[in-house]
Amino acid sequence: MEQRALMAEPIIDERVIAACQQGDRDAFGLLFDSYKDKVFSIAVYSFGGDQAAASDVSQQIFLKLMTNIVQFRGDSAFTTWLYRMVVNTCIDEQRKRSRFLPSGESIPMSKVADRRGPEKHYAKREVTDCVQAAIQELKPKLRLPILLKYVEGLSYEEIANVLSCSKGTVASRLNRGHQALARKLDHLRGEVVLGD
Amino acid sequence: MFSQHVAKDLSAYCNGETAGEHSRRIAEHLIACNRCRRQFEEIKLGVKLAEQLPQLSAPDSLRLDLQVQLDAAGTLAKESRPVVFKRKKVSRRKFTFRNWRLAPVAAVLLLITGIGALYFYPRPSLPFWEVVRLNGSPRIASSPIEEKGRLALGQWLETDGSSRAQIDVGSIGQVEIDPNTRVRLVTARPTEHRLELARGKMSARIWAPPRLFFVDTPSAVAADLGCAYTLEVDDNGAGLLHVTMGWVALQLKDKESMVPAGASCATRPGIGPGTPYFEDASYPFRLALSKFDFEPDDKSWSIIPTLDVLLGQARPRDSLTLWHLLPRVQGTDRERVYDRLAVLVAAPDEVTREGVLQLNEQMLQRWRDKMETTWTGESQLHKTVGLWIRAVGEVRGLAR
Repeated sequence: MEQRALMAEPIIDERVIAACQQGDRDAFGLLFDSYKDKVFSIAVYSFGGDQAAASDVSQQIFLKLMTNIVQFRGDSAFTTWLYRMVVNTCIDEQRKRSRFLPSGESIPMSKVADRRGPEKHYAKREVTDCVQAAIQELKPKLRLPILLKYVEGLSYEEIANVLSCSKGTVASRLNRGHQALARKLDHLRGEVVLGD
Repeated sequence: MFSQHVAKDLSAYCNGETAGEHSRRIAEHLIACNRCRRQFEEIKLGVKLAEQLPQLSAPDSLRLDLQVQLDAAGTLAKESRPVVFKRKKVSRRKFTFRNWRLAPVAAVLLLITGIGALYFYPRPSLPFWEVVRLNGSPRIASSPIEEKGRLALGQWLETDGSSRAQIDVGSIGQVEIDPNTRVRLVTARPTEHRLELARGKMSARIWAPPRLFFVDTPSAVAADLGCAYTLEVDDNGAGLLHVTMGWVALQLKDKESMVPAGASCATRPGIGPGTPYFEDASYPFRLALSKFDFEPDDKSWSIIPTLDVLLGQARPRDSLTLWHLLPRVQGTDRERVYDRLAVLVAAPDEVTREGVLQLNEQMLQRWRDKMETTWTGESQLHKTVGLWIRAVGEVRGLAR
């Protein structure tokens, strides 16, 4: 699982979307390249680092995207429409899986972090692993605003549009999410606060 | 003010989602309200942790798997035909020339278009701080500024022998840059404001909650704890901090010196912060401390051992220095420092000799709390109120 390398992303404008709506296969390829990392990231964090599950869900999302894009009317930004689909698909899939998997089976990321636990001096990688594990343990309504804010870089207003709630609700959920993270990972304070 | 707590706005404040005037009101409230400040520290930590989350790369197999799924599905909503997307098909098809004589013309057009795109492409604006010229010709990124300028992330601000400048640190304070000084803007985020002082002298007045404003020097990091101070760095990277209001922490790795108003602390490259001292301490005391911190092998300056001079010259107010010395000496020297400290400021009942000699953090903190009244001559309440009044005065002055 590599971290994203900085690269120029193709610009998805209304012409590309219109081409997708006409069934242009190259336009779909462009759309896929633009959003595959974003979609996959949310899926991975939503499924506790389980890459196989994340890949399955990402495929579902892109299939839905291709079949439903004709319904996109431009009433909201395309990214809002897409992220709404991503969030809803992840939540639906989690619900389905929770019926069949015993509790705790879907959080291998925590286990990875735990195996590295005995070391007292956390390098940046260990900090990242711990944060990923802690994110996994948050309830979806606290986890999703954090992912949309920090992984996808959305503003409060954009998050509110994706989650169909008010900006105040986004602020409130982020407050609770930040506090929950801080309480779980207070022992990492020295690793991240000063950063010197 | 205390009736309007700002807890619900703290994440938005940390994420830069609050407007300028509202941000200022939140900062003002945080200075005065312990409850909200505690929550702010917690949320700030949560923000810093969340910022560690990277965006991940999808595996290459995702494209192939999707392709298989599409082949199986076999239809597309509108055209009812299989969708096969290929990575490079667009470029191959669109850039095929039938008449190769047109190629040079097309190349020139492409070049012109490329240069034009580079020139007009809207670049994301970097964070910046406003700079006001006070004297002479301060330079930002080697270009002299007029009356005002902007110091962007990563840029250096330099003054020569006759120029001075003032930097507005976001909405949380001001820094005056003296002549012959070189500073760089390192970080400008609501949760962290950071300058690098390579050489010269700067004076900071900060009215924000603790540990939001940092100054990197070649030999230590100065962390603001709600205060005013001057910091200077010479050409060798050695530094000197002088605090005029509140507190500043000087740090290098796990070595930290807490410096209150009226006190100073020197730093040296490779050594970090020395031991803080009050400037009204005796000259032999200050000289001995300098030798202790930075030239421990120099025995030529006095026939009396350095530690003996320090213990002999120490007044109750110099318990600031002796308290910092406790973890910096070993064995019998630590016992001697403890005994002298106990004479200058009696240890509280719950603080034991054994606990202090073992550097029990809670006991050291309790004893320090008691010593603080001798360091400032004020109670904690007076100190907090005084700090608040000055800070609010500064904020209102700025607002006008």
